[in-house]
Amino acid sequence: MGYILRLLPSLLSGAATALVLFFVVLLCSIPLGFLFTLCLRSRVGAVRAAANVYVYIFRSTPLMLQLIIIYFGLPYLPVVGEFLKLERFSAAILGFILNYAAYFAEIFRGGLLGVDRGQYEAAQVLGLTKTQTTVRIIIPQMVRIALPSVGNEIITLLKDTSLLYAVSVPEIIKNAQIAVNRDANFTALGLALVIYMALNFVLTVVIKKLEGLMKWGE
Amino acid sequence: MIEVKSLKKSFGHLPVLKDVSFAVSRGDVIAIIGTSGSGKSTLLRCLIDLEKVDGGTVLVEGDPLVRDGAYPHHTQVRQITAKMGMVFQSFNLFPHMTVRQNLITPLRLVTKKPEEEAAGLCEQLLRKVELLDKIDEYPATLSGGQKQRVAIARALMLNPQIMLFDEPTSALDPQITAEVLKVMRDLAEEKMTMLVVTHEMGFARDVANRVLFMADGEIVESGSPGEIFGSPQDPRTVAFLRRELEG
Repeated sequence: MGYILRLLPSLLSGAATALVLFFVVLLCSIPLGFLFTLCLRSRVGAVRAAANVYVYIFRSTPLMLQLIIIYFGLPYLPVVGEFLKLERFSAAILGFILNYAAYFAEIFRGGLLGVDRGQYEAAQVLGLTKTQTTVRIIIPQMVRIALPSVGNEIITLLKDTSLLYAVSVPEIIKNAQIAVNRDANFTALGLALVIYMALNFVLTVVIKKLEGLMKWGE
Repeated sequence: MIEVKSLKKSFGHLPVLKDVSFAVSRGDVIAIIGTSGSGKSTLLRCLIDLEKVDGGTVLVEGDPLVRDGAYPHHTQVRQITAKMGMVFQSFNLFPHMTVRQNLITPLRLVTKKPEEEAAGLCEQLLRKVELLDKIDEYPATLSGGQKQRVAIARALMLNPQIMLFDEPTSALDPQITAEVLKVMRDLAEEKMTMLVVTHEMGFARDVANRVLFMADGEIVESGSPGEIFGSPQDPRTVAFLRRELEG
């Protein structure tokens, strides 16, 4: 027990780093993802094409590779490279946001497809403007349809924070491994497991609560 | 009140409305009947700008919704369609709002009426469709007939002068169409101007003062219910009525 207590500070500081990344990415990538959803459905062909290419690139390559390229690779670009030297943690946050926004864009697009066309028609004949229709009628229904998939992504995001390892930002696993190597004792990795499970337990409960709030009588 | 002249509409190469003309006077209850695919729903949807026409004119109280196939600025189109309310076959209530919110939210968004006034109107209309006890329910908990009555009340909130009904009972079980038809009958008695696309021949015969029979994108025959049901002239009308009334 005493050993576990001695391990905790470094593991919890790793968890704090992971949580900062988690919340910043969540807060940025969800609105950005919705913006990309609107681009994916734009009437302008060029905007649609650009959004599709973006989503394709970020979904078809490993997040780890994206992080490595953003942190190590971008500074080597000719001319602009010297302006793209990011601090490790910032590079990671940028990579995560761009990556998760691509996934959220597709999830929200699916959510929009699930909203019945009659909802747009009812809003129109009642005299609502396009903006009112989107904000008051369509988005709430899109969110409900997308919520299970968004919940999935959120849980994945928490676990993906371990990819901070790729750009050498100390997080939960890295700190656990240091302890394992130092003490020749696997307890730290077991503790890391427990920390992830505890955090995701909280997330799961919150997501279920949200789904419950959006039952709307069903 | 509404004048429709030479309305034309195609979906791709398929003409769905070929030169449709008719007029609606205040207080008219017009039943539009015909086989599926005859263009009757499309006609209704064109009148409230859910479909754009390819040619022809629609005047509402003298103002053009579309003149010779050309639409005015969209603010004018909105002004004109605001005089109409519409009820759909599939209800299209907003599932994330309670019955109360379904009625009040659109009114408040569109007219900026004060909250208390909207709330009062909401209760009054729900009483009229006999659903005041469901005011805080979500649509998902209502039966089809109840949903459609809420949809009618929602449309009435905006005080329309003309109500369009697009097969309002076609998605309902036969035993609950009556409760919706009763509400529509009450509206007709209050001299609401109504255009009703329907398969309910009983409603067309008893409540409408005029019946339009459509086939192949045209109004084949129109007249009083007595004329259409008593002595139909066109063989297509005769065949249709025989099928419907025997069916």
